[in-house]
Amino acid sequence: MTQFVVKPGVKNLQHEGEKLITTHCCYCGMQCGMHIRVNEKTGKVVGVEPRYDWPVTMGKMCPKGVTAYQTIDHPERIRKPLIKKNGQFVESSWDEALDLIEENFKRIQSEHGKDALSVFGGVSMTNEKCYLVGKYARVALGTRYVDYNGRFCMSSAAGGFMKTLGIDRGSTLPWPELEHTDCFFMAGSNTAECHPTTIQWLWKARDKGAKMIVADPRETPTARIADVHLDLKAGTDSALAYGMMHLLIKEGYVDEEYVQARCNNYDELQEAVKEFTPEYTSQITGVSVEKIVKAAHIFGRSPRSVVMFARGVEQQSKGVDNVCSYTSMALLRGQIGKFASGVATFTGQGNGQGGREHGQKADALPGYRKIDDPEHVKYIAGVWGIAPAEMPKAGVSAYEMFDEIQAGKIRAMHVICSNPAVSAPNNHYIWAGFEKLDFMVVSDFFLSETAEFADVVLPATSWAEDEGTTTNLEGRVIRIRKVKEPVGEAKTDWQIMQLIAERMGKGKYFPYKNVPEIYEEFRLASKGGKADYYGITYERIEKEDGVFWPCPSEDHPGTPTMFQEKFGTPDGKANLATVKWREPAELPSTEYPHTLTTGRVVFHYLSGTQTRRTKFLMEQCPEPYVEMHPQLAAKYAIRDSDNVYLETKRGAMTVKARITKAIREDHVFIPYHWGKELSVNKLTNPALDPTSRMPEFKVCAVKIKKA
Amino acid sequence: MKKVMYLEFERCIGCRSCQAACRECGGHDSKERNYVEYVNFFENRQTYPMLCMQCKDPACARVCPANAIQITDDGVVLSAMEEKCIGCRNCTFGCPFGIPKFDFEENKMYKCDMCYDRTKHDIAPMCASVCPSDAIRFIDHDEMMELRRRRTQMNLIEGKKPSENDKWQYVPEFFGVYSD
Repeated sequence: MTQFVVKPGVKNLQHEGEKLITTHCCYCGMQCGMHIRVNEKTGKVVGVEPRYDWPVTMGKMCPKGVTAYQTIDHPERIRKPLIKKNGQFVESSWDEALDLIEENFKRIQSEHGKDALSVFGGVSMTNEKCYLVGKYARVALGTRYVDYNGRFCMSSAAGGFMKTLGIDRGSTLPWPELEHTDCFFMAGSNTAECHPTTIQWLWKARDKGAKMIVADPRETPTARIADVHLDLKAGTDSALAYGMMHLLIKEGYVDEEYVQARCNNYDELQEAVKEFTPEYTSQITGVSVEKIVKAAHIFGRSPRSVVMFARGVEQQSKGVDNVCSYTSMALLRGQIGKFASGVATFTGQGNGQGGREHGQKADALPGYRKIDDPEHVKYIAGVWGIAPAEMPKAGVSAYEMFDEIQAGKIRAMHVICSNPAVSAPNNHYIWAGFEKLDFMVVSDFFLSETAEFADVVLPATSWAEDEGTTTNLEGRVIRIRKVKEPVGEAKTDWQIMQLIAERMGKGKYFPYKNVPEIYEEFRLASKGGKADYYGITYERIEKEDGVFWPCPSEDHPGTPTMFQEKFGTPDGKANLATVKWREPAELPSTEYPHTLTTGRVVFHYLSGTQTRRTKFLMEQCPEPYVEMHPQLAAKYAIRDSDNVYLETKRGAMTVKARITKAIREDHVFIPYHWGKELSVNKLTNPALDPTSRMPEFKVCAVKIKKA
Repeated sequence: MKKVMYLEFERCIGCRSCQAACRECGGHDSKERNYVEYVNFFENRQTYPMLCMQCKDPACARVCPANAIQITDDGVVLSAMEEKCIGCRNCTFGCPFGIPKFDFEENKMYKCDMCYDRTKHDIAPMCASVCPSDAIRFIDHDEMMELRRRRTQMNLIEGKKPSENDKWQYVPEFFGVYSD
């Protein structure tokens, strides 16, 4: 297999003494194509070269992508296993660390039962590793408690898509088709900062006259270029979607034929949206009637439209409702399953799509199978070589694992590729949970805030030191190539899981010598499931610029456009939303009079473990800040750069003010990429969505004063 | 040079990828030679990128008392030659776009060279390669002229650029630079 992949006629700059290795970015779900520059003599990574011929991103990269390679040989990388002795981390050998893990895991399981162990996974790793996390928890450790950070990221989108469309694939259409779309309805997505390389497609469409409608409490760089900016209050998305659908029905924009043939619940939906007149919608959402009407007409008249959303609508205690109702907007217009139109969510994490399909979730098994379905358990148990009776039952969601810790049920945790000490809501509770654990292991390649709580930290490899596949936000399965040998004594996550499995006496279930062997087993495990990867091979990915799942056999072309014939529900019809409007879990009150919302900035990724160690990115955005409207600032005599004290029912913090008119007057915004005293998640609300168990990061009531 | 740098300010999303990429270019010593600024952050998030216009008769070169700033046959205005630069910083004041910068440690001026080691092979400069919103493009002169005509056409069809609030008044709609 060649390492440098380039199409004929495409020129790249090749420096003398260097080689280029073709791969993808380690950060968000865009998975931008790139070539990494490696010095042939020293084997060190020296830079990055754009991958002009990658059809999704055309060589474009955001500042995180451009600087991603700098984390690989970073001086702060963990090079040897660390064991905490008297409160201090001491470098040790692998044997010593594994001895300690074996001793503690076995002791805890014999004293408190199998389920006293738990695994907290992540989806910034390859499909092979994500797949193995579920198997590691259930087969090697034999515990029911496994969940992952995607619970804080994609779970509401997954829940909503499952409910309405029957299959959760982030985008129903391939990205390059966006060029031909006539209207983008984007809700709760600051695409320009969080998935910047998508913007080129939006502009290609806009150059042909496409319209953009953006719903966001802030006038983000995305909302700034919108034709209509619906500046709604955080947490009122389903009302806005209902208001839009009210008008679509009233103005005759519904594709009646499509809805009759392919959707259920149309009568119920009509009934549900009846009261959402523009006036009533405006009253709930705070968006003016004129804007709602204008947006409905633009969206309704567009022959091809895409409804897109992201964490803004999903990270709410009614995230699934929001996803269902926005998806229903696309269904009413008869858009899903057609060219250049459909519905899409922007996957936050690199492999947020692939990682959530293959059994890291508390209730899921590979290929989007369910752990409470005996047939599914039987199939996967067969692939894994265990008896179906040995398969643990469903566990609990990520945040609820910390309830189990407090209840004394979970006694030890292995955190893999995640940093919940920053990224989980209500930080104080999370930190107390980590402290209560008898034993904690973290695999990471930097000493994250979570790793600081650990008893043993195992040095994992970075994305460039291992190979595998990921699935980008379109549902396209792509290749990550190994760029160099691991630093120090770092091992890949799959090797780490394999080593611990051996110590637990389950080595025979993890016989892998290399990544392709895991992939072969994983293909088989996904076979016949909703997310079927069986027909996708490394060779095909390279030849076909990635393959879209489902792809059940090697002669199947893959599925770039979903739901062309029927939906993934049992009756093949989509279920329109029939949810009741609900307020956010916490509303502004006299004591906490304003709304706090959180989000990302373009310079940082998730909990910032990597990007806060990158010089360029830290120069641009070294610390969090609170963004507020000058009118709100004036009430508290706050000037730009003043320190502001913010407090919610759960926690408080002090940050500098950034004053701008590009935000609602009643909202404040703080980015969440920092840990400890700078973590805004000390303040956020852990109210969970009833279906997806997604916490409500995006809305909580806050009081502020000048510090 | 047949290709031109084409800037569309309104497309800038303020990600500063161009700056990060500028540091990546061989021979740039990990120092960026372009910049991105907010127009007025109090009002809105409109930003704009700025890089060397590769002027035909560059002010930086004209005000250099040591004749240290050379222009290639392709029209690329290079950083001051180290052996000639006397460190007077006239160029940094003379440039109307604020491009030349001064390295006080090395006592020399440095500026955008349009990624000369790339563009001489007809490969796009780093900033234009990575710009996620196509605010910076490296395109054929003919393509640029077509884009400008298309803009007129769109304005005829659509009226003035559609916008909620009239944000466009802050910036010119486009800015093309070409050497021929």
